[in-house]
Amino acid sequence: MKNTVRFAVTMVAALGLGACGGTSTAGTGTSSASTIKAAWIYVGPITDHGWTQAHDEGRKYVEQQLGSSVQTTYKENVPEGPQVAQVVEDLIRDGNKIIFGTSFGFQDAMYAEAQKHPDVKFEQATGTKTAANMGEYFGAAEDADYLTGMALGAASKKGKIGFVAPFPIPEVIREINAITLGAQTTHPGATVQVVWTNTWFDPTKEKQAAQSLLSLGVDAIGQGQDSPATGDAAKAVNVPWSGYDSDQSSYAPNIWLTGTVYHWGPYYTKRVKAAMDGSWKSDNYYGSIADGMIGLAPYGSSVAQSVQSQINAKMEALKSGSFYEFKGPLKDQSGAVKVPSGTKLSVSDLYAIDWFVQGVIGSPKGS
Amino acid sequence: MIRIERRLTESRWLVAAVPAGSLVAAAILSGLILLVTGHDPVATWSRLLDRGFFAPGAMSATLVTATPLLLTGLAAAAAFRMQTWNIGAEGQLYLGAVGASGIGIALRDQSPFLVIPAMILAGIVTGAAWAAIPGVLRAYTRTNEIITSLMLNYVAGLLMSYLIFDSHSYWRDLSTFTARVFPQGKYLPDAASWPNFPLGGIAIPLGFVLGMIAAAVLWVIYTATRFGFEARVIGDSRAAAHYAGIRTRRKIVAVMALSGALAGIGGASEIGDFRHVLDPRGLQQASFGYAGIVVAALARLNPFAVIVVAILLGGLSNAGFSLQGATFPAGLVGTLQGLILFCALAGELLVHYRIRFARRAGAAPPAPVPARAEIA
Repeated sequence: MKNTVRFAVTMVAALGLGACGGTSTAGTGTSSASTIKAAWIYVGPITDHGWTQAHDEGRKYVEQQLGSSVQTTYKENVPEGPQVAQVVEDLIRDGNKIIFGTSFGFQDAMYAEAQKHPDVKFEQATGTKTAANMGEYFGAAEDADYLTGMALGAASKKGKIGFVAPFPIPEVIREINAITLGAQTTHPGATVQVVWTNTWFDPTKEKQAAQSLLSLGVDAIGQGQDSPATGDAAKAVNVPWSGYDSDQSSYAPNIWLTGTVYHWGPYYTKRVKAAMDGSWKSDNYYGSIADGMIGLAPYGSSVAQSVQSQINAKMEALKSGSFYEFKGPLKDQSGAVKVPSGTKLSVSDLYAIDWFVQGVIGSPKGS
Repeated sequence: MIRIERRLTESRWLVAAVPAGSLVAAAILSGLILLVTGHDPVATWSRLLDRGFFAPGAMSATLVTATPLLLTGLAAAAAFRMQTWNIGAEGQLYLGAVGASGIGIALRDQSPFLVIPAMILAGIVTGAAWAAIPGVLRAYTRTNEIITSLMLNYVAGLLMSYLIFDSHSYWRDLSTFTARVFPQGKYLPDAASWPNFPLGGIAIPLGFVLGMIAAAVLWVIYTATRFGFEARVIGDSRAAAHYAGIRTRRKIVAVMALSGALAGIGGASEIGDFRHVLDPRGLQQASFGYAGIVVAALARLNPFAVIVVAILLGGLSNAGFSLQGATFPAGLVGTLQGLILFCALAGELLVHYRIRFARRAGAAPPAPVPARAEIA
């Protein structure tokens, strides 16, 4: 009981301390008609050099573009689960009128909160549920993944590429398929070997997975993880490496090839503006390399000029629509034709894809 | 020379003065850090208290985080009292969640009066069974339970991931579009949602009520029963207990199972009270089992103090998310939380130990500092 009393005393003393302050400046603060408060919820740290950092750069871009008419904030390292709802409630209490959730695992809590707060706009990255005041957004990473695959294929001498993959889900499967198809254009017959980590962000696990691939003799390595730990492992054995989410070249400039990057900024700016002027409408937005939501990171010095121009030409073709990476004929791992010549995979096909193209080593069901 | 020695008597005024003193110390230290980093200490402190405890809905939100901390804190306290180091509350909580969600899905058409007790029971049984493994290994093969219980946490985490990500298990939802985009568990029916009890605008989850009952039961067990007495004797000296005819092996298994059962209720409550779905990623990210060890240590293994510490840590955690933002980095939030806990522990030390300054420093060879400053 002694401890109970002690903590009760602590609490009372703390209360007194807070109350006699008087000059409190924090708190809710009201937003006037001309300014809007916008908030982002991140699952990882803003310094992850990957997924979360890319979103936070998007947030900073909004501040840059809209200046004093917007006030942004963020919450990082938010665990998926009941605490998400609390974080949302707290943000709404602070006067935020548009809230971006950037992890799939936030979706259910975001959706429930959207029902409770019809006057607040909710935006969920990579999600599937929409409501009158809740929109979804994501980008076709596969466009740039295909180009990254071309760089990996050209860098690999033996045609043995490794890939450190988070979860056996459609988003990652289409990414691996695109990388494999791209690699096979610059290195006919190239294979991509997959190791699943079952985590988005766990630098230790990611590095171990990369090391296991490198010890199997892959001579170029890519990743779908949120941290550049794969590059760390590749640097030790001097194997060419492609990144993901953000420009990670500074991590290991000598082995850096390129990587898929997200430019969330323009989309965020558009949506925050729409929320300000009242034109915001719920949407299910799938950005692409053509509208700039997806891009390719700057090439590393080891990527030959000829390869760069080959990739750039393909990028222009993707942008103009004259080329599409998931057009038939496409074969699965067993060699059976899954997409016959003359047909192509639609976005909803891609959202549910559960098979690997020929050349991928590993199971699309995990482990 | 500075010496730290145990107080022979603990004066009453210290019990009140030291917590107040450690709070002042925490306020001054954190205030300095806040000033150096360009933040208003008073505003920060009042926001921390407001959003953690006093704002409308804040206490209800705090209890959401405090509930699993209470149960894993009790789990740790139950085992640590016998000097049995169950580090596996994390995995035992996972197993409780697996068991409770499995039963909740299986009994989907039944009444809540059947489903909810069945979920609680499933949490108890699976958590206890998982904890009994390192218990049996400790009791009969003298395997270090710290290592086995810790390692089983990873096994339990992988088991949950397997059920949702790597297999078409009973727990996994294969029917909806959302579940095809990203694997997820089956949602439990409404009948499996645990009730909460409103008290003055605060919603008290059933799991928290169970935790308070468990704290009282644990207190009775350790202060008023033969079982508790024997467990404490084993904790003090296993050889002496053995000599006195206490069946030490059985007791070790029983205490581990009791500890695991408490963590298992924590897992069942995560499913029944809050998540309503087996969520391997969310549960692993939260790491309530490990935080429970901190709760138990801060509460000095007193079950009633565990309740208070769980609420305090739950509030600190929620208020931490409220504090952080574009101008307030998460690292600073962690520093503040750490300082508060550090000062609380340091104050604890001062109640039981005193610092003496020797009169003639250097005249005599310095006496070795007695190594008794351990908390547990």
